[in-house]
Amino acid sequence: MSRRTPESFVVLGFATTHAALAAERLLLDIGVPVTPIPAPKGLGQLCGIALRLAPADAVRAEGALANADIAPKARTTMTDV
Amino acid sequence: MRSPASGLQTASDPRPAVYLDHAATSWPKPSQVVDAVSRSLTELGGNPGRGAYAMALAASRAIFDARRSLAGLLGVPDSCDLLFQPSCTYACNLMLKGSLRPGDRVVVGSMEHNAVARPLARLAEAGVEVVVVQADPAGLVDPGDVEREVRAAPTKAVICQHASNLTGTIQPLGDLADIAHEYGSLLLVDGAQGAGHLDVDLAALGADAYATSGHKGLLGPQGIGLLYVASGLDLEEQAEGGTGAGASETLTMPTERPDRYEAGTLNTPGIIGLGAAAQLLAAEGGAFRRMEAELVRRLHEGLLEIDGFRVLGPPPGAPRVPVVSAVHDTVDADRIAFELDRRYDIAVRGGLHCAPWAHETVGTLECGAVRFGVGWGVTVEHVETALAAIAEIVT
Repeated sequence: MSRRTPESFVVLGFATTHAALAAERLLLDIGVPVTPIPAPKGLGQLCGIALRLAPADAVRAEGALANADIAPKARTTMTDV
Repeated sequence: MRSPASGLQTASDPRPAVYLDHAATSWPKPSQVVDAVSRSLTELGGNPGRGAYAMALAASRAIFDARRSLAGLLGVPDSCDLLFQPSCTYACNLMLKGSLRPGDRVVVGSMEHNAVARPLARLAEAGVEVVVVQADPAGLVDPGDVEREVRAAPTKAVICQHASNLTGTIQPLGDLADIAHEYGSLLLVDGAQGAGHLDVDLAALGADAYATSGHKGLLGPQGIGLLYVASGLDLEEQAEGGTGAGASETLTMPTERPDRYEAGTLNTPGIIGLGAAAQLLAAEGGAFRRMEAELVRRLHEGLLEIDGFRVLGPPPGAPRVPVVSAVHDTVDADRIAFELDRRYDIAVRGGLHCAPWAHETVGTLECGAVRFGVGWGVTVEHVETALAAIAEIVT
């Protein structure tokens, strides 16, 4: 039985669905793959949609979001097993 | 459709042969709008913002796209400042009750619809001073009169419609914005009859808030309105509830737009239909408005060619939104509207049009007026058919 290697992700949380979708659109436009996921507990009180991305893309992604004035409200890392 | 000759009011299909009530609501809707609403109901049934599964995400994205399309159409730089509301009336209520407090003073034109007049009456009971500036007999608010009142005492807001639902008069909003801002006041606008029929650039217009209907000139479904709120204006929300995102554990509304003003599940079919209409108007709005202007010109001239009619509002050829209201010397407006429906299968509206202030201003509070509103789908032939029928009714 093969075991899948755990994979780490950066997860960004946003104040509104609109902001999360604006961030998704922006990141996809600049070639950063993101996946919308239900906001995990690691984001604190934030609920709704969060964006999951590879750690290797995080610096670029967060810089682009800050430049577009849609910076995340919260950030966490999680491991998918 | 009913047979024009039959006058059967119990017919199963109530659609008129000629529809000239676009000032009340646009009909028929463009096929793009119908298709978008249908797709919303059949394919995008998830609750927007309430889940991360595929169908809820698709609904959320469709609303996001619709908001952006509408912001582009209306010249709103940040689409977060464009709020979805259940109607223009709700948007006006939020605009007025969210910004005014007891002790505030406002200056308002006398052509306002009840969507503004009634909230202002409630606010006046709560201690807001409401100063009404009389418009001229054509329904035009004189910026000089407004400035005189604004200069007289500290004024929280100048309130004015974009265009009259009775006379079609287009108000001088640019001048009113300059006056309001010179004296530190807000400009709050009821744009129910403006957006779609006029080329609206809200960033350039200078309004601090602008409410409009989604189902009139913007050609969307009923049950959806819009409120633009300039980024610096801190309206107090008028409804609390779930928003699907943000800090759900707190019992206060989020401070971020649009969620602060959009409690509860949104009208997804209405919004997506309106978004489709925005895309259509972005592509064809210029031709649409030119067509409307030509129809209005012919309708106005044609009514004046029939003995006994007085057309309200601006003179022939002067700019107006596609609303033409008239009164006849001897035949009541209600009767004209009734006869057009029963005998000719032509839909128009008679009466007071929910705007008693405006009727009082132009001298028709006692008699009302018969109103013709043209728009998407109306043809020159429709207008000529209506004019011929009207001539028969009043002769």
